Amino acid sequence: MKKLLASTILAAGLYAMAGSAQAAECGEVSIAEMNWASAGVAAQVDKFILENGYGCTVTLVTGDTMPTFASMNEKAQPDMAPELWVNAVRTPLDAAVKEGRLIEAAKILSEGGVEGWWIPKFLADAHPDIKTVQDALKHPELFPAPEDSSKAAVHNCPSGWNCQVSTANLYRALNAEKDGFLLVDTGSAAGLDGSIANAFEKKTGWLGYYWAPTAILGKYEMTRLSFGVDHDKADWDACTAVPDCPNPKVNSYPVSDVFTVVTKSFSEKAGVAMDYVKARKWDNGTVNKVLAWMDQNQGTNEDGAKHFLAEFPDMWTQWVSPEVAEKVKAAL
Amino acid sequence: MASICSVLPALLCKFPAIDESAIRLARKTVDDGFRAFVRANGWIDNLVQPLQWFLNYLESLFVGSPWIVILVAMVAIVYFGSRNINVTIGTALSMIAIGLVGLWNDTMVTLAMVTVCTLISVVVGIPIGILMARSDRVQAFVNPILDVMQTMPSFVYLIPVVMIFGIGKVPGLIAVVIYAVPPMIRLTNLGIRLVDKEVLEAADAFGSSTWQKLKNVQMPLALPTMMAGINQTIMMSLAMVVVASMIGVGGLGKNVLQAINNQFFTVGFLNGFALVGIAIIFDRTSQAFGKRLQKHSEVIHG
Repeated sequence: MKKLLASTILAAGLYAMAGSAQAAECGEVSIAEMNWASAGVAAQVDKFILENGYGCTVTLVTGDTMPTFASMNEKAQPDMAPELWVNAVRTPLDAAVKEGRLIEAAKILSEGGVEGWWIPKFLADAHPDIKTVQDALKHPELFPAPEDSSKAAVHNCPSGWNCQVSTANLYRALNAEKDGFLLVDTGSAAGLDGSIANAFEKKTGWLGYYWAPTAILGKYEMTRLSFGVDHDKADWDACTAVPDCPNPKVNSYPVSDVFTVVTKSFSEKAGVAMDYVKARKWDNGTVNKVLAWMDQNQGTNEDGAKHFLAEFPDMWTQWVSPEVAEKVKAAL
Repeated sequence: MASICSVLPALLCKFPAIDESAIRLARKTVDDGFRAFVRANGWIDNLVQPLQWFLNYLESLFVGSPWIVILVAMVAIVYFGSRNINVTIGTALSMIAIGLVGLWNDTMVTLAMVTVCTLISVVVGIPIGILMARSDRVQAFVNPILDVMQTMPSFVYLIPVVMIFGIGKVPGLIAVVIYAVPPMIRLTNLGIRLVDKEVLEAADAFGSSTWQKLKNVQMPLALPTMMAGINQTIMMSLAMVVVASMIGVGGLGKNVLQAINNQFFTVGFLNGFALVGIAIIFDRTSQAFGKRLQKHSEVIHG
């Protein structure tokens, strides 16, 4: 059995046209390709570097924050989530790290993820008096609701995401209903993106939750509004992030921690690559550039990853040893 | 497999695809064209505005009325539709169960949506089905379109629909109808085509006009098949309402989506069963109603 397994891995290694010595050290790993652009590119970059640099056999599994995390936590599948927004899963993740099931690797977005309420830039330019969310709420006429243009709308984050809770609580804290604003459920990431695209193509106002780095913000210029207060972590954890909390206060979104998370079995199977997943991090500016390039050129996540590897060698060669970097460059 | 490729010429191993940049250019052109189309056509919004009002009105009617009124109305409709006491009691019980687990309002939102979707599907589907039945050429033309409508992944057209109409009930309605109307069309077409030739000859012999033949002979005889079509349409509308919640349609679908994203099994199942409950009510009522229509016209089919 062991022989068979070894020969299979060897064959897989040969098939991947990589050095067979490496193949013996790195097995088959599965990586979650999340369904938003920045994480998708990260997954493809990892795939390329792990396959060509370390001789792993990589399969990509489509994922989403909650289902992927639950599956990694319960069944150790997939082996790796390149870009996990850990605020949404903080408690179970901490428990899993303590029990050794999961390992927090690199902080992939070195500056963290930025969340907040945004308006289109053309609207912010036309109305320089709108600097904060409270200013925007004074102008319900600028933000028509999708189903009833006599009302205004705050677009909520997709159903089931953590930000849905915090956005709803902030909406109540700001008492936006009295200003004639509805809290509109966008349903899914596609619905949210579509509503922004629709507003930009028709040049109407839009107010709602969004986050960076994202392709949409590379494509459509948006301005983030301040909440007029600093982030109060204690109140955020006690109330803003809790569904139906009784007395929400106005608060700013925290900067989100975004980590690469791997399972224990990944560190066993792909031990050679552990240094890489611990070192890999990029800043929002770089990610936005890659995403904007993808958007202009209609590139897939894979195209974006190749573009990144070709255009930003100074950045990624610092994540790997020179030998590995040579192999990756040869494969490009 | 890899070893064979080392001896064969590359052309035979790797399918000769069109140059990537050319495909990219084509994609860009189509997308930019579509965006320009959206920008230039603000009138589409005004076109569907009455539909939006109607949907909003119906939803607020269902949600805003006292539950007891809705329940009594529903039970009455079911009873007079089916004349079947079991179905009526089942309806009352399932609606009470839905109310008890706190899903009354969401169910009303979904009910309003499904009612409109089904009505539009029937109103659009029957005439197209009749046209298909009258002409082989129309049938040959429409059939592939129906195949596309039923198999094209709904996410593909959800996004363009959202870009044109924004999010909410109208794009949801369009998505649901695209998915739910084919069975209505197909089964109307089939039902009319299966009407006995001799019966039609008899009608001709009595000097029926085309319209009389359709109204008094073909439609009554095709009715069982058409009722099956309505049935399928209702079922497919209900299934699609969940997907439509991805573009901001509220109701049970939204809860299901939330449950999926958070792994709340119980919430998912409760909302799922509420949908099943509505589906069975619609199904049994429309079936019993169809059977009664048959009795009424004293047609014994088959």
